[in-house]
Amino acid sequence: MSDILLEVKDLKKYFETPAGTLHAVDGLTFKLERGKTLGVVGESGCGKSTTGRAILRLHEPTSGEVIFEGKDITKISQKEMTKLRSEMQMIFQDPFASLNPRKTVSEIIAEPLRLHKIYKNKEEQAKRVLELMELVGLSERLVNTYPHELDGGRRQRIGIARALAMNPKFIVCDEPVSALDVSIQAQILNLLKELQRDLGLTYMFITHDLSVVNYFSDEIVVMYLGKVVEHASSVDLFAHPTHPYTKALLSAIPVPSIHGKKERILLKGEITSPINPKPGCRFAPRCEYAKECCFKDSPELREMEPGHFVACHFADQF
Amino acid sequence: MADKQYSVEINDLAVRFSTVDGVVHAINGVDLKIEKGKTLGLVGETGAGKTTTALSILRLIPNPPGEITSGSIVLEGKNVFEYSEKEMENIRGKQVSMIFQDPMTSLNPVITIGDQIAEVIQLHEKIDAKGALEKAKEMLELVGIPGTRAGEYPHQFSGGMKQRVIIAMALVCNPQLLIADEPTTALDVTIQAQVLDLMQKLREKYGTSMLMITHDLGIVAEVCDEVSIMYAGRIVEHGTLEDIFDHTSHPYTEGLFGSLPNIEKRTEALKPIPGLMPDPTNLPEGCPFHPRCKYATELCKTRMPVKTDLSDTHSVRCLAYEEGTGVTLGGEKA
Repeated sequence: MSDILLEVKDLKKYFETPAGTLHAVDGLTFKLERGKTLGVVGESGCGKSTTGRAILRLHEPTSGEVIFEGKDITKISQKEMTKLRSEMQMIFQDPFASLNPRKTVSEIIAEPLRLHKIYKNKEEQAKRVLELMELVGLSERLVNTYPHELDGGRRQRIGIARALAMNPKFIVCDEPVSALDVSIQAQILNLLKELQRDLGLTYMFITHDLSVVNYFSDEIVVMYLGKVVEHASSVDLFAHPTHPYTKALLSAIPVPSIHGKKERILLKGEITSPINPKPGCRFAPRCEYAKECCFKDSPELREMEPGHFVACHFADQF
Repeated sequence: MADKQYSVEINDLAVRFSTVDGVVHAINGVDLKIEKGKTLGLVGETGAGKTTTALSILRLIPNPPGEITSGSIVLEGKNVFEYSEKEMENIRGKQVSMIFQDPMTSLNPVITIGDQIAEVIQLHEKIDAKGALEKAKEMLELVGIPGTRAGEYPHQFSGGMKQRVIIAMALVCNPQLLIADEPTTALDVTIQAQVLDLMQKLREKYGTSMLMITHDLGIVAEVCDEVSIMYAGRIVEHGTLEDIFDHTSHPYTEGLFGSLPNIEKRTEALKPIPGLMPDPTNLPEGCPFHPRCKYATELCKTRMPVKTDLSDTHSVRCLAYEEGTGVTLGGEKA
């Protein structure tokens, strides 16, 4: 019996816009084991960030269930949710925009501790802040600096320390390294991995960078226009990508090696609008294998191999 | 090999910016050559001086606060610093054009894309407005945008299409040198693949030389012939693709490769470069990379490495490759 921390069932998030209903997340289902990492990949506008936010109820889900430690958190009150958020945290993409410019590093990290009234006296709180700073590799002398004085890598460390302040069990990392230089990116990825090992954290790792997600995740969900097109273990997904979109996505990564050039699948056109989507497979207009039925019926997510799910009418033929 | 023709030759370029926080030494003696029809990749992290190098070629460094303190940039046999401002205007967009990183902010939002491309043509060629617009439409077709959309405004296009418009604009006057400053960083991978493919095709068609500025070694492997690795305003390693990828010599280049997750061997741990880029107002003594270098010795803290040729095509700036320094890259030192 596996230890499931988070289970998401048929999660939907629609936004009403003047042009119609925007289907940002359209029926997402997955289970996440304690201590594991689920990677969510896809391109701009595929609904990956909305997914992360809907799970934390930063966007109220339109329908579906989010079961965290056996409790459906979409049904609980705002007050209970606030309390529960101490166990579910988020690390944001932009370390420049997600920190209050008028607060010092220690004030930012102490914010969740203060909100949840963890410590009665200031000294204990200050001690905890220093502990957290050490944990994420921020030197003590930065305690009274402001975010603008620091570089992107250090700012992201502040964001991580803040997320860790309440000893969460689950952290949504929304593109935590995409704004950083490669050498700094590797430092932050290693830090996140160490923290997971030491603190037993469970991550949902949202990114557009496939080499990062492959390095980081146990399982990967590939999204396209609000739908899951493929869900498999990282090893499986990279060894046997099945959905035509996953294949194109993997082939599009520029590989930093001059040997073994692979065949590049160039996709036609661009992502279509998620507003009032047409029936049928959402990838059909760009898919080279699309047949008539692809434009009529939306393919179900089917288990092709144990643990390998694909949403394509012709998945068994690839 | 004296018969090699270069589209641009930069010799010992130095650029500094005077700011309230002190003098920023952005570029400290850069040498760079691009052979005609070839692509050079300029790789480095934020603040390495990549964009400043590119802007120097077009003489677009704002002065003040920027100042080119030494060096020469030779375009087609003539030093660009000797051109008048008027002559420079003729060069920009005609002889040398540039594609900027952010397609969202490099187009004018209140002018139709057809007119924006036609403006470039009219500036450089004797052609009437109608003819220029016709040519603009042809160019749009060439980058895969229907000519009928020439009357639309930038906000009506997606990011990938805007970048295609910019590519059309950059190539419309058939420049000898195209400078592409992180042209696909703002785009999704599948769109990036489309845009890179398009740039390759057009470049081959017109025989344009290119300076490709990027931080992505994957893109370098795909589009470049030669690579220069830049750190703290200096080229620390230069070579052909094979030199850089298979015979990586400089510890910084090695660090860059170590920082990238390997898509084939996912279990391999990342080996990041410790520390941060040095402050360009206060560069360290000796080799600027020594505070982050795992091989650094006492000598590295005081002596600036010079360029050492490893072969006809491969050069590196590191004391370990200079004779008699006693620095080695073998045994790790604390």
